[in-house]
Order: sequence, then structure tokens, then C-alpha cells
Amino acid sequence: MTAAAAYLAGRRRAQGAGLDRVLPYLLLAPTLLLLLAVVLYPIGYGIRQSFLNFRFGHAVGSVGLDNYRQLFSDPAFGQALWVTLKFVVLAVTIETVLGLGLALLVANELPFTRIARLVLIVPMIVTPIVVGIVFRLIYASDVGLLTTLRTDIFGSGQVFILDKGWSAFLGLVALDVWEWTPLMFLILLAGLQSLPIEPFEAARVDGAGDWRVFLDQTLPMLRPVLAVAIALRTIDAFTTFDQVFVLTKGGPGTSTQLISIYGYNTAFKFTEFGYGTAMLLTVALVVLALAALTVRLIRRQAVS
Amino acid sequence: MLLLVLVIVLVPIAFMVGTSFKSNAEITQDLHLWPHTWTGSNYSRLFRDSYFGQYFRNSFIVCSASVLVSLVFGSLAAYSLARFKLLLRMEQWLGFAILTVRILPPVVIVVPLFLVALKFRLLNSWLGLILVYSAFNVSFVVWMMESFFREIPIDLEEASMVDGSSRMTAFRRIVLPLAAPGLVATAIFAVIVTYNEFLVALVLTSSPGSQTIPVGASTLITRIDIDWGAMAAAGVLAAVPIIVFALIVQRHLVRGLTLGAVK
Repeated sequence: MTAAAAYLAGRRRAQGAGLDRVLPYLLLAPTLLLLLAVVLYPIGYGIRQSFLNFRFGHAVGSVGLDNYRQLFSDPAFGQALWVTLKFVVLAVTIETVLGLGLALLVANELPFTRIARLVLIVPMIVTPIVVGIVFRLIYASDVGLLTTLRTDIFGSGQVFILDKGWSAFLGLVALDVWEWTPLMFLILLAGLQSLPIEPFEAARVDGAGDWRVFLDQTLPMLRPVLAVAIALRTIDAFTTFDQVFVLTKGGPGTSTQLISIYGYNTAFKFTEFGYGTAMLLTVALVVLALAALTVRLIRRQAVS
Repeated sequence: MLLLVLVIVLVPIAFMVGTSFKSNAEITQDLHLWPHTWTGSNYSRLFRDSYFGQYFRNSFIVCSASVLVSLVFGSLAAYSLARFKLLLRMEQWLGFAILTVRILPPVVIVVPLFLVALKFRLLNSWLGLILVYSAFNVSFVVWMMESFFREIPIDLEEASMVDGSSRMTAFRRIVLPLAAPGLVATAIFAVIVTYNEFLVALVLTSSPGSQTIPVGASTLITRIDIDWGAMAAAGVLAAVPIIVFALIVQRHLVRGLTLGAVK
């Protein structure tokens, strides 16, 4: 074979001819089959189950859309939704403000960012269950860190966090802030460090103060990154489960009963699989919409 | 400023570590951050009265198997998306569609997963967990590796194929070695997420023969409600493997944690 012919054969292979034409699909097949079996099939199966009525964990007949109608008349569902919304808005807002503040403070101090990256990575990679344990130890009214601190400073006195509804809720928010502010910080820090320098210098030359530079330059340029970070965090916070499961199991009362905890209890504690599935699938729709939005944001980010 | 941040981040963890080395008498009577007398009794009690050794083994097997499967499947799929023109312009949207699976939190499909696992007798088995985690991970692997493959110039493979090697040989010899850093970063993130996963493991397993560390730790602390020393020790034991792992590989972490939104 001449060099030219060999080149042409190679070219053809590169562009896909003969057996090579199905190769791309062969490469995709294992992944698609796995996702079909483990994600799409269960979702389809779940949709079918959501039209059934379960008693003691066994399907006892079809109830049509009743499981979905029940959502609107179930005060516990409304309550769980309300608690979840409060939790998400409060936690994500605090994390964004703190994360952005910290990132702005240290964006130009290299030694800090190196140590900070190392240490701040710890809360978000530690197993969420362990984070729950850490905060149970902090909040324990007899032996916890808060009681210990109060005793050391004031000589005596217990601190009760998980016994009252409102303080347990705030305690949960504090846990989330501790665990996830670092992620906000790291994303926004990377975002800040990738911004061009010239606009800032130009604004400085024009005599703009810190605050004006932040509002007119930093914030608009940082917006795409900020949007991705907030979207990712919102989805995650919306379905927080592990930490609550260890910290309060949703109590006291329903003060920390997030939608995920209520759905889990409905399905697995009270074995109402049909209603539980209907509830979580409805939540899934909300999350899916948020996820699609996030993917679009990331995509725009990736393109630009 | 730096100090304040470090204190807020580290003191809670230090308190857990400290508590885990205190005797229960010291925990209840003498409130201090750090133990006066160090004792390993909480740990020895944990290993004597519970299945911690087994939990470690289960976590190790489930984690390594599912990460391995997802890396192989995911890299192949990602390569296909990064290099070929496909039917229906799949190369343009399939990656994003698959990414949605990663973003979708497990809680929204955990009930169907349980019912399907029940139907196919996959409850209380490594296989059930490995399948689910492989699927979760593969979506992330595809997303990450697609972008890494796209960064590799296509000329290198073409040159190799012109020299007579097949497409897959070129992939193995040329593309994979160049994408190795990406593969490592992706694997690291998959290991962390899989190791930490709780809800699916909680629902799919109910015996020590297949429960992973997070599930083991949570059943343990439900049982020993007021044994603070043992609870702290369980927390430390569950946290140590992943913290050590993460500190070793921390340079590669940030991109994975942010789903590639930040490079």
C-alpha cells in the first residue's frame, strides 16, 4: 500500500466507515443500558406504583390519581413543604452572603487561599452522617460543646437547642451553613480569580470606591458563577436528608421535618409506598426543573 | 480573620475527636474541650459490640467496584460523545441529559429503587448497591470526561490511525494517557460521593453483611442514644478514611465538587 492509500484508509477510519460506523453507539451502549435499568426503569415503575394503594406494604388496588390529590389535602405535606422552603431560603442566603464576603476578602491574598482551600474542604467532604453526629455532640444539652462553653465562661447553665422547635430549626440551618458555606466560597473564589483585571483598574482610575466597584463591576461579571453556585446549592438543600435523620429525625414535632424526611417516613415507616412515591415524584418534578435550569447555566458557563 | 474561620471550621470536629477519647465518666462530669486522660475504650467497645469491621469491608467493596465500573463505562461513552457525529445530534445534548441524573438527588427516586430492588431480590446485597452507585457515578464520569477528551487535540489520534492503529488502540495508547489527570480527578470525586452516600444504602440494606459505614454509624447511634463516647468514636471512624483520602488528593478536588462549573 502506498503512503497515500494508507493515509486515506486512516482518514476513512477516523471519520467512521464500515464497522467503525457503529462503534460510537457500541461505546455509548453500556452507559445508556445502565442508566435505563437503574434510573429510567425505576422511575417508570414508580409512576405506576404511585397510582396504587398500599396496605401494610402490599399493593391492594388502584386508586387512580388519589395519591396525588391527597397531597393537596394533607396538612403534614404542606407543613413539610413550608419547613423546607424556609430552610432552603435561609440557609442558601446565609451561605451565599458569607461565601461571597469571604471570597472578596481573600481573593488577593494567596497564602490565605492555599490554607483556606485545604481546611475549608473538610466540612463538605466529611460524610453528612458524621456532620450530623458532630452537631449532636455540639448541641447535647448535658455534655455538648455549647453547654461546655457556657459553663467555662459563665460558670454554669445548660444550653438547649434540640428541645424546642424554633431553636432546633435554627440549629439545623447552622449545621447546613457550617457544612456548605465552604463550597460557596470556593466556587465564588475561583470565579473572582478568573475575572479580568482591566475593568477594575479602569473603574479605580475613574475614582470609584470599593462599594461602587463591587456593584458596577464585580457583581455583574460574577453573576453567571453566582447563579450556578446558588442553583446547585438550592437543589442540594431542597433534598437534605442525612443530617436531619441523625440530628433530629424531623422533630421536635414537625419543626425540622423537611419534605425528604416526610416522604421517607411515609414510604418506609408507614409503608405507604404509593403515596410516598407520589409525593417524592412531585418533588422530583420541582427538582428536575431546577436541575434543567442549572444545567443550562453550567452550559452557558462552559461555552463562555 | 483567617484564625476565626479556622476555629469555626475545626473546633466542632476537634470536639468530636476529643470526646471520642474521653471516658464516659469524664464526658458527663467534667466539661472540657480536650480529654484529661486519654482512653481508647470507646473504640475498643465499638469494635467489640458492633460490626464496624464488616461495614468497612462493605464500603470498600461497593465503592471500588462501582467507581471502577462507572469509570470504564463512562469514559467510553464520553469518548463517543466527544469525537463522533451521532444520530439526532446526540453528541450535543446527551451529555447534558446524562448530567441531570447526577444533579437529581437520590431521595426523589429512592422509593422506586427500593420497590425494584425488592422485585429483583437485590436488597441486602453488594450487587444492588454497586448497580445503583455505578449509575449515579457514570453520569458524572461522562460529563467530566467528555470535557477532558474535547481538550485533547484530535490530530494526535488521527496521526496514530494514519500509522495503522485502530480507533480503540489510538484511544488506549494516545487519548487515555493524556486524559489521565481528568480520570484521576473524576475517580476521586466519585469515591467521595459514593463513600458518603447514605439514603440509598439505608433503604437497600438492613443487615450488617451489606451495610456501608454511614448506615452502620447511623444504626449504631440510634441504638446507643446516650453513649456519647461511642457516638463520637463512630463519627471519627466513619470520617477518617475519607478525610485522609481527600487530604492526599486535595489539589484535584475543587473541579469535581462544582460539577466542572469551575476549572
